[in-house]
Amino acid sequence: MPSSPVDSPSRPSPRRNRPDLDPRGPRFGAAITAVLLLVVVFLSLTGASVAALGLLTVLAALFAWGALAGAGRHPYGTVFKALVRPRLGPPAALENAAPPTFAQGVGLLVTLTGVVLGLAGLAPAVGAAAAVAFVAAFLNAVFDYCLGCQLYLILARAGILAREQTAAVGS
Amino acid sequence: MNPISALSIVLALVAGATVLGLYWRFRQGRSVSVTPGGSDAPNALSPADVGSRVPFGARVTLVQFSTSHCARCPGTQVLLAGLARSRPGVVHLDVDLTHRRDLANRFGILQTPTTLILDGAGQVRARVGGVPNRAGILQQLDHLTGSTHAQLAR
Repeated sequence: MPSSPVDSPSRPSPRRNRPDLDPRGPRFGAAITAVLLLVVVFLSLTGASVAALGLLTVLAALFAWGALAGAGRHPYGTVFKALVRPRLGPPAALENAAPPTFAQGVGLLVTLTGVVLGLAGLAPAVGAAAAVAFVAAFLNAVFDYCLGCQLYLILARAGILAREQTAAVGS
Repeated sequence: MNPISALSIVLALVAGATVLGLYWRFRQGRSVSVTPGGSDAPNALSPADVGSRVPFGARVTLVQFSTSHCARCPGTQVLLAGLARSRPGVVHLDVDLTHRRDLANRFGILQTPTTLILDGAGQVRARVGGVPNRAGILQQLDHLTGSTHAQLAR
């Protein structure tokens, strides 16, 4: 029996045009990010507020890079391609770059909130934001959990991403 | 806070995230049977409900819910389409939920891919969150088609 993607011709999202990438690349990047976020939490807890805020600002900038340029053009991705991937076998399958790119945007939102609150004088918010972002990055790196995928569905369900297309599929 | 206490909190954070990840992974891909006629309401689907012009399978229909931002949906599509092709009377459909909030809310879909396994009458008989376990789907197919297909490659 044939398999039929009910509405594959009607997926006009421009994000789908991003090239496919080796799924181990974003996970490699998430591992580095998770470790650095833990350092922010530690610095924040020990009262090194300025250092914590500085490092979280750097991480927010890296998230912004990933969110704007695409997960495939993230600096960690370049490191992965140059140093890690040549030592690994070929990936089982390539994956769409849209979900990890969306996840970078979520990371940017969380870390930027911490940076803004930190600049406003609320030092514990820096550690709290880093802890939240750490959980997502850790689950991504270790368990291959895709926060971007889940949040995208939840935002779509809330109607935030539905925009103009509410017509029935398959038409 | 002294460094030892701070380090303890950092380690507790790692431990908590690990437990969360193990729990998440434990639940992924498992087929959960749905009791027919059970109280957990809407449990029948028609091709029109999912906007499909393809009729449902005579024996089993695998309805996969995806979005455009779903890392594992294409792989799931390949797996389920292959299983559907290997069995007569089994059809696989892939539905993009991005523009079908109604379906997502009706079935309480919280992650993609989520797959509903329907019997020949369009009743939901099982549900799989995450990338389906191949053996679990085969077991459901055997159960619903009332046969064991030892000759089919597994």
